[in-house]
Amino acid sequence: MSYALQTLWHEKARYAAGVGAVAFSATLIALQVGLLLGLFELTSIPVDHTSADIWVGDSEVQSVDLGRPIPVSTVARLDRPGVHQPELLYLTFASWTKPSGGSSLCTVVGGDTSAGAAGAADVLTPDMRAALTEPRAVVTDRSDLGKLGLGAVGDTGKVNGREVRLVGVVDGLKSLAAPWVFCSQTTARELLSVPNPVYADHTTYFLARCDSPARAGQVVAELRREYPTMSVYTAAEFSFESRWYWLTRTKAGVALGYAALLGLLVGSLITAQTLYSATMGSAKEYATLLALGIPRRRIYGLVLRQAVWVGVAGVLLAGPTVFALAAAADAAGAKVTLKPVVLAGAAAVTLVAAVLSGLVALRGVRRIEPMSLLR
Amino acid sequence: MIELTAAPVMRGDHLVRSFGDGAHKRTALNDVSVDLLPGRIALLMGPSGSGKSTLLAVLSGLLPPDSGRVLARDGDRDIDLWAVTDAAREGFRRRTTGFVFQGYNLFPALTAAQQLEIVLRWGNDSSPREARKLAADMLDRLGLGPQAHKKPAQLSGGEKQRVAIGRALVKNPLFLFADEPTSALDWENGRQVVSLLRDAAHSRGASIFVVSHDHRMVPFVDVSYHLEDGRLTETDRPTDHSGGNG
Repeated sequence: MSYALQTLWHEKARYAAGVGAVAFSATLIALQVGLLLGLFELTSIPVDHTSADIWVGDSEVQSVDLGRPIPVSTVARLDRPGVHQPELLYLTFASWTKPSGGSSLCTVVGGDTSAGAAGAADVLTPDMRAALTEPRAVVTDRSDLGKLGLGAVGDTGKVNGREVRLVGVVDGLKSLAAPWVFCSQTTARELLSVPNPVYADHTTYFLARCDSPARAGQVVAELRREYPTMSVYTAAEFSFESRWYWLTRTKAGVALGYAALLGLLVGSLITAQTLYSATMGSAKEYATLLALGIPRRRIYGLVLRQAVWVGVAGVLLAGPTVFALAAAADAAGAKVTLKPVVLAGAAAVTLVAAVLSGLVALRGVRRIEPMSLLR
Repeated sequence: MIELTAAPVMRGDHLVRSFGDGAHKRTALNDVSVDLLPGRIALLMGPSGSGKSTLLAVLSGLLPPDSGRVLARDGDRDIDLWAVTDAAREGFRRRTTGFVFQGYNLFPALTAAQQLEIVLRWGNDSSPREARKLAADMLDRLGLGPQAHKKPAQLSGGEKQRVAIGRALVKNPLFLFADEPTSALDWENGRQVVSLLRDAAHSRGASIFVVSHDHRMVPFVDVSYHLEDGRLTETDRPTDHSGGNG
């Protein structure tokens, strides 16, 4: 065992605060970013829960929930080799009126409900799809029932003033703000045409599957080149674009980012203080080594290695903590997405912060003089 | 047994050192000259605050004098200790100088053996195996073999100071400076410590310079000095070196 690690182990109590601070920082960063990713995953749910390879919309579309009408007639542009029969997807904001009165916003998502359709959400059961073929039938996520003022299947509300009936409740299609209200293309056309008659011969997106992901990429490139007035994305791109849009356009990312940064700062200060006081606690021993002619850089090295070990111990402690807290958050209804890259990033950032804290402690080492041992 | 005509390995030459200024100026060393001989243990006594530790610090390369020189043997040449760079002085201390302080200053987390090994590994770039061997040999010679794997908290005060002596001697220095090495010990342990220091001088040819209040050390040393009001006087040069025990 190295001298640094041995010292850490021997003086566990002394270094515990630093280890705890690192663990706190790493946990905070991982959870904040995880919450943020989890939160903004909700913005791309229509993309992530359908099976189209390419998405085509208006040129100004930046996020899937901000679709604009496009003429249905332009669907012919997708007619090219390797592209399967395109589907229409209606997806736009609408006014929701609760059964008890009072209105809010919802997002109508009207896609092909037939078996095997690319635009049907994967969590819709065959029974629900069948039920959705009825006029003005809708399905929504369990977590949004309250927001919509609905209790159970059979309840009714109004979309753009037209009465709709709940025929199914799904899980996994949570919304960020405006609940997703899934329906058939026919129902969507009818509901959306109320405030905006253009929807009689317009839709929001064309969805299509392709022979292969590679072909999807080629088609996207071709369509972009040929039709600059359309937005064309692969599903993965559109999912990312949607999340990125909301992440960057809202203050949520900034707020959570600041909180994480603050946590990192506080954690680093505590770590620096811990390392500094531990270092000064050994000042006489270090002074003795200096008197014996041991170069000061050896002691710098020891302190920095201690900083690294404090960082490693903190990150190891943070690991299970993050997973436990993420599970607790999930249980409480908040989605925490723990991607390996985020976890690795949080670990790396806090390790770097721990080493920087060690640099602060080095300032103490610089002041140690062997002369102080002679009185 | 002792080569009385041996050439000095260190010479303090007209050393002057004062602290503070104006009315508060205090002269710790006022034209002090002293020779340290190889294989000898020298004792420096004097009242508190008389500048004993200042002389030790100036001779050992820890504190620069206001004026005067310190000439010291470094391998096969002599250097003017306060005319060379800080790095050169650090190198001199690393190659030639051991220290024992009043406090033991042992790392609480390290074993007795590791306290010695760290000096060899960091100071001499010894391999771990070589450092372990030299440290074990040294602890054996100090009668601390059974304590080699104990940490300071498991050692008595006398044992701790012996480990500190081992740390100072393990690199086989030409000079060993000890500042009040027995002040925290009872006389039985103190006597052991002085005996070890004397043996180190006589058997290894090291030049040992001890600062102490303790008159009981006088019979154990080769030469005694007294420092008072910045002036150094030689007080005692016992010739019977076998009489150290009584």
